[in-house]
Amino acid sequence: MQAGLLSTYQHPVRNRNGLAWALSALLMAFYLLLYFGKENYDAKDALTRYAHDPLNLLIVKLGWPTGDNGSLWVFNKWYLYAALYTLGMAIGGYFMLKKHGNSRYHRLRTYSLVSVQAILGFMLPIALDFAHRPAWYFSYFFPLKYDLFFPYNLDHMQATVAAWFIFGSFVGIPTLVYFKGKRAYCSWICGCGGLAETFGDPWRHLSSKSDRSWRIEQFSVYTVMFLAFAMLGMVLADGLSAPDSPIHGWANHYKEWYSLAIGAVFSGVLGTGLYPLMGTRVWCRFGCPMAAMLGLIQKFGRFRITAKKDMCISCGNCSTYCEMGIDVRAYAMAGKDIKRSSCVGCGMCAHVCPRGVLKLETSKDVGPHGEIQVWTLDL
Amino acid sequence: MPAANPAPHYVIIGNSIAGIEAAIAIRNRDRDARITVISGEHPHPYARVSLMYIFCGQLSLKDTQFYPEDLYDRMRFERIFERVTGVDVAGRRLALEGGRTVEYDKLLLAVGSVGRRLPWPGAYEADPAFLHHFVTLGDLRRLDAAAKPGMSVAVIGGGLIGVEAAEVLHLRGLKTHFLIREPFYFPVALDAAEANVVAEHIRHHGVDARTNAPVNGFRREGAKVVLEGPDLTVDLVVGAIGVEPATAFLRGSGVALNDQTGGVEVGDNLESTSAPGIFAAGDCAQVTWIDGSRRPEQLWYTARDQGRTAALAMLGDDVKYRRGTWYNSAKFFDVEYTTAGFIPYAAPKAGRAPAPTRAEDGWQTWYQRVPGSAVTQRIVVKDGSVKGFNALGTRWDHNVWMRWIHERRPLAWVLAHMNDARFDEEFIAPFAVLPSATLVNGA
Repeated sequence: MQAGLLSTYQHPVRNRNGLAWALSALLMAFYLLLYFGKENYDAKDALTRYAHDPLNLLIVKLGWPTGDNGSLWVFNKWYLYAALYTLGMAIGGYFMLKKHGNSRYHRLRTYSLVSVQAILGFMLPIALDFAHRPAWYFSYFFPLKYDLFFPYNLDHMQATVAAWFIFGSFVGIPTLVYFKGKRAYCSWICGCGGLAETFGDPWRHLSSKSDRSWRIEQFSVYTVMFLAFAMLGMVLADGLSAPDSPIHGWANHYKEWYSLAIGAVFSGVLGTGLYPLMGTRVWCRFGCPMAAMLGLIQKFGRFRITAKKDMCISCGNCSTYCEMGIDVRAYAMAGKDIKRSSCVGCGMCAHVCPRGVLKLETSKDVGPHGEIQVWTLDL
Repeated sequence: MPAANPAPHYVIIGNSIAGIEAAIAIRNRDRDARITVISGEHPHPYARVSLMYIFCGQLSLKDTQFYPEDLYDRMRFERIFERVTGVDVAGRRLALEGGRTVEYDKLLLAVGSVGRRLPWPGAYEADPAFLHHFVTLGDLRRLDAAAKPGMSVAVIGGGLIGVEAAEVLHLRGLKTHFLIREPFYFPVALDAAEANVVAEHIRHHGVDARTNAPVNGFRREGAKVVLEGPDLTVDLVVGAIGVEPATAFLRGSGVALNDQTGGVEVGDNLESTSAPGIFAAGDCAQVTWIDGSRRPEQLWYTARDQGRTAALAMLGDDVKYRRGTWYNSAKFFDVEYTTAGFIPYAAPKAGRAPAPTRAEDGWQTWYQRVPGSAVTQRIVVKDGSVKGFNALGTRWDHNVWMRWIHERRPLAWVLAHMNDARFDEEFIAPFAVLPSATLVNGA
């Protein structure tokens, strides 16, 4: 067995018990504080300014120095969040590798995820901010980063930075995904996926494998993808239309609504808050528009999980530890290759299979694995 | 209105892989048939091979149910959750534990195995609390309640159930002794070199694995038991000396059983040789192997194939069960094992022909071990072409190996193409022929 998975089902916070509910509530409360505290930009002194923003208030109360105008300048709640996020990933990554570090695939992708977060998701933005330069998160692309092309971002985006984001969103990442699978982004680069793979790893077995959850997933994830691209359309229309056009008002309302409902509530409060109850990839599976888009590319791309014919013993490890709720075992039992748009290629199914039945593949040719035949032996 | 011909009633005893695959195959062909599936073990099909994962908390019992829970409703199977106590062959009816009877038109026996009893006089008479097996859900629940961290346990028997039991008992924190009668571990599939690699690995985990350690009997000493032979005092004993068909309830019914194995004697179409209309599939069927021997085939994949074949036979098709080339896989603690084709067994067993693998008949063995690791490969060769593969510590596609065997590929060609059969995770070093590789005559 995989020694790190010992007693998964006896663990105090991994089985939807009271402690798991409490932890879920705690995570949700944290995200509510993070997203719904409002800074009063007109206020003169720091305490009044952050009176409605509990996390910034906490930073001030802890004695962090404020600027002349009461600003926290670089160290505001968003960097507190980024620091906690990176720490959570590093600690979670350590424990993840204690369980699964006997696999080189898991070691490499975990190093990649934690490094990308630490460098591109934390150190570089904070350094840019210190240097009075716009602080960009270079590892997040549209449509996951839904406000990338909002006027308030575009207005101060340098041409090279804009080129990076436009190329990454519409050419670079999709091309990578075509050749290497959605995993190249979702399980090697993405910060949301990174948190799920590390901090969220203890709860991966809780994702539902039912047909019903699959139907809900397909409806919800493609709906959000549609909403995200609709918003891009509105932003473009907004930029191109006459100054007195009613489109400006609609676009603003729409952007505000999307930021609240999808950006804050779905991806943050629920997406992370539900880890201990519904498994780690609640946002990636049911909400992420980037995952939906890359999934469609994956469907036509080269990535697949090959199932070795006639060797599956139906044990259930692959399905149980699939964080995306794919019933991997059903494919393995039938000896069918798995080509599912939702698969983030974390590789856990192949790793926990005690009979080596599954293999993540991206080669162009089908290879010698693709045939079923009953052979007879003559000595 | 005249009564329509009643739909035939197919009754299947056993809802594990052989039984449930047969039931599904019958339903796929006959929408109207009445199908009853009887099991006294668990209401849903579950993967028996996962008992070890349930025991150590890696999976829940529900995780091991390999079909959705509404399978019976969707497939319109009638469920009886009760043990069968006897078959009335002439009257075509079954007696259930609760006293009811069930009539059938066609019957499938897919009753599986039970752990082979330890051959100690009187061992089971008082149903001693220390004595366990690790084959059924009942075994699991009993062992789960008894095995406490800090206890000592002796696992007797150097096979696959033994190594799994030893692993999970050790992980639970019991002082685990793994007692192997033979000179080395798992001699039906491994040779001495491979078995030593495995034994080293098991000992490295902290399990006391002993070879040449037959146990002749036992003696109670208070709450403990002393095993005679190794002279070992332990709290618990797990008997893992193999499994045997769970066919005791068929004795005297007219369904012919093999004297030696207890398997149901069947023809090529898996129908009982003595009781027409009764079929057998899975662990309990005495089938013909590729080498011509007749014995039960206690494997998950072949139980599935036998279940499907038996279903077609029950529907009246002219079918034959054909095993094809041998292949199998296992896992010894962290070391994965894959095999395909012909690997001579180092320890002859009853009912099996002796291995004709002498050097003068053209047999050779190629072998290498990656130094310092549990990675080995062995290839058995006859007259220059490959016949069988054994690999520890890395993953291989047995189908590719079987194709090479079928194509009579020469050893040199196979060694040059071995990476085409690799099935490992990415970023793992490719196969390479090492300077230390050996090719010896004989196999």
